[in-house]
Amino acid sequence: MKLFAFPLLFIAMLSFVVGQFFFKHAMDKSHQHGFSAEFYRFFIPGILSMTVSFFLTLGLLQHFDLSFVYPFQGLSVIIVSAAAAVILKEKVTLQLLAGALLISLGVVLVSFS
Amino acid sequence: MGVAKNPLPQIVLNALVVTAAELFLKIGARETANMSAGPSWTGITGLASIWTWLGMVFLVLSLFSWLYILRNVPLSVAFPLSHVVHVFIPLASWFFLHEIISTTRWLGIALLIVGLLIVAKPFARIEEKLL
Repeated sequence: MKLFAFPLLFIAMLSFVVGQFFFKHAMDKSHQHGFSAEFYRFFIPGILSMTVSFFLTLGLLQHFDLSFVYPFQGLSVIIVSAAAAVILKEKVTLQLLAGALLISLGVVLVSFS
Repeated sequence: MGVAKNPLPQIVLNALVVTAAELFLKIGARETANMSAGPSWTGITGLASIWTWLGMVFLVLSLFSWLYILRNVPLSVAFPLSHVVHVFIPLASWFFLHEIISTTRWLGIALLIVGLLIVAKPFARIEEKLL
């Protein structure tokens, strides 16, 4: 049963991360063009992506303990920071990555009951 | 509207709004936990409590506040720092709801604080220079 959970956990986390990138892109567009069609072109997929993540997580919580499901969210910290460097070309220092890693570990420990 | 010089106050405010939302939702859920009407496992009976509605209002506010942060702050910084909620929520649950925090959870909170300080440090330096 738990084996079946891992792909779903991965998709839930991935759609959460993708949603954050859509939101960031939408807000960058709002800087340039205001809340125009360009903004909604990224904002709406962001909302959809977050909705997929929300319902997948809810479904997982119906079958598994919170202390099993939630620590995987911690991994999103390190993934978002690393992906922001590659996709958004943000300046990500080693110091930031070290901090993100500690935050990830912290979230995992906080989530274990 | 200019680019924010120090994103930390916005991020802390956002985390406080999320913490308040979670507390209100928990109070709403607790108040309605024993209601028998309808399929209670869906959580729909929680809507009978004003606290649940207040929690939902705060959740919507937190989305707008998060979008505002993303407008001004790089995602690689804002996202890790937003996890300060994992410090605030257990502490607020302990303080307001009298929940027990295990040793493992305290250790996690300590690790989170160290990680958050490492990520936030460059912004504190900018603030010092501006002063």
